[in-house]
Amino acid sequence: MTPTISCTDLEVTLPGASGAVNILAGVNLSVAKAEFVSILGTSGSGKTTLLRVLGGLLPATGGEVRCDGTPIQGPPDGVVTVFQDYAHSLLPWRTVRRNVALGIEARLGRAERDERVDEALTMVGLLERADEYPWRLSGGMQQRVQIARALATRPRVLLMDEPFGALDAMTKASLQDQLQQVQSLTETTIVFVTHDVEEAVYLSDRLVVLNGSPADIGLTLDIPLPRPRHQISTKERADYLELRHRVYEALGHTVGEPARG
Amino acid sequence: MKAKKERGGTPIRGLLPLVALLVIWELVGDPASPYFPPPSTWIDGIQPLIDADKLLPAIGQTSLTFVLGLAIATALGAIVGTLVGASRSVDRALSPSLEFLRALPAASLVPVAALVLGYTTQMKLVVVVLPATWPILLTCRTARRTLSPVLLDTPRTLGLSTWHRTTKILTPALTPAVLLGVRVAAPLALIITLLVEIVTRVNGLGAALGAAQAGFLSAQVYGLLTIAGILGFAVNWIVTRAETSVSRRMRGTV
Ligand SMILES: Nc1ncnc2c1ncn2[C@@H]1O[C@H](COP(=O)(O)OP(=O)(O)OP(=O)(O)O)[C@@H](O)[C@H]1O
Ligand SMILES: [Mg+2]
Repeated sequence: MTPTISCTDLEVTLPGASGAVNILAGVNLSVAKAEFVSILGTSGSGKTTLLRVLGGLLPATGGEVRCDGTPIQGPPDGVVTVFQDYAHSLLPWRTVRRNVALGIEARLGRAERDERVDEALTMVGLLERADEYPWRLSGGMQQRVQIARALATRPRVLLMDEPFGALDAMTKASLQDQLQQVQSLTETTIVFVTHDVEEAVYLSDRLVVLNGSPADIGLTLDIPLPRPRHQISTKERADYLELRHRVYEALGHTVGEPARG
Repeated sequence: MKAKKERGGTPIRGLLPLVALLVIWELVGDPASPYFPPPSTWIDGIQPLIDADKLLPAIGQTSLTFVLGLAIATALGAIVGTLVGASRSVDRALSPSLEFLRALPAASLVPVAALVLGYTTQMKLVVVVLPATWPILLTCRTARRTLSPVLLDTPRTLGLSTWHRTTKILTPALTPAVLLGVRVAAPLALIITLLVEIVTRVNGLGAALGAAQAGFLSAQVYGLLTIAGILGFAVNWIVTRAETSVSRRMRGTV
């Protein structure tokens, strides 16, 4: 079966202050349909860069990126990125409702568009703020607007860059569960960047750790925890704790020693 | 509410010293003075122009040159500024030429423009458009250069067409910068319009001013000057208000 989205021998070089910098080298990743894959890594390891390449927003310097078997040039249809920098991704001159409609307003009629927008806003719990401007919302709410905007397009592949990084623990947990639910209903393929180990283990079918400079995939770990997962009971399972332990180790933490930065 | 009130009050209160000056002038001025005729004589001074049906057409000519020139400058500055700001290499390649053209004094364009286009409205337009373009071009270039990459990635990942990317994202995002440039360019355009008219005597308020001066009609000169001043004040007030309210809406800061 062809993977939904994949890269082979991916290499990315970006211009730096003192010449070109090799950010990613020899990255191989292949994500199957309806799979949930998390990308973990320390800050600056190249997670955003990898996601931008997968989303067709940044051309690869070397190697190949494919979506449904065809090499990509630019963002493929149905592959939508949710950006880390939500504040700059929302249009301040549009209300929440019109922001969410941005991706669908050109191809859908008014009735269907409104229906989809309402549906997406309900999913992220922001329907009652639909007529507000995004800059009047909290950071977490703005990120939810961005997620709603992606969901409204009914994407086949959702590329999410630390989408819950700005949220409090309660909202985060509830959105994690909503995301799982959406995924099981729609069979969306999700590539999820995070630096939160618990979140990655809890949500993923598989997780990969980016490390080194230039970065490549240091650890690939299958997460065979049963679904649906539950915030309390899943996180109490012995196998969950064991997986979590291994990821922390891969990221360079040792038991009994305080974390370094 | 309070801020609004203050904004509305400032221009009127700010004009008080000017009004006081005019009142003093009126009280102590000598109606027969050839250099400083008091304000009451100014209306009589421009009366012949009104009677000859020349004043309104002159104001119309000046306004037309000004508005058209500013509109062309805005379109030109916004488009070129956006293109130049979009690419580092284009920016670097064009910057020296742009700097040179910018430093060219507007007045020095008059002989060349008059030579090529004659004493016509087109000539006036050319002389007005070039200098008025710079402020708009430069603010637009900077704004395009500093536009968040995420804002540009957003319409791409959502699959918007190039046309929609331009109309729905780029245009609204750059509008405040364009208006900021217009705010600087508008008074400049008006000054240059009047200057060209005075120098070349090609119709308009400036030409009337020049003619009045040549005929030693000092009261008429002051009368026309007042009209030009009111025009400039109105232009400034309108562009400032437009710029403030639009950028507030676009940037989302109240
Ligand atoms: N546009 C760019 N031009 C040049 N270098 C860049 C650019 N964007 C990122 N980099 C560099 O690439 C490296 C990886 O950046 P990236 O944003 O992918 O990291 P990240 O893993 O997403 O970090 P974080 O967890 O902080 O978001 C960094 O060293 C950064 O300086
Ligand atoms: Mg990042």
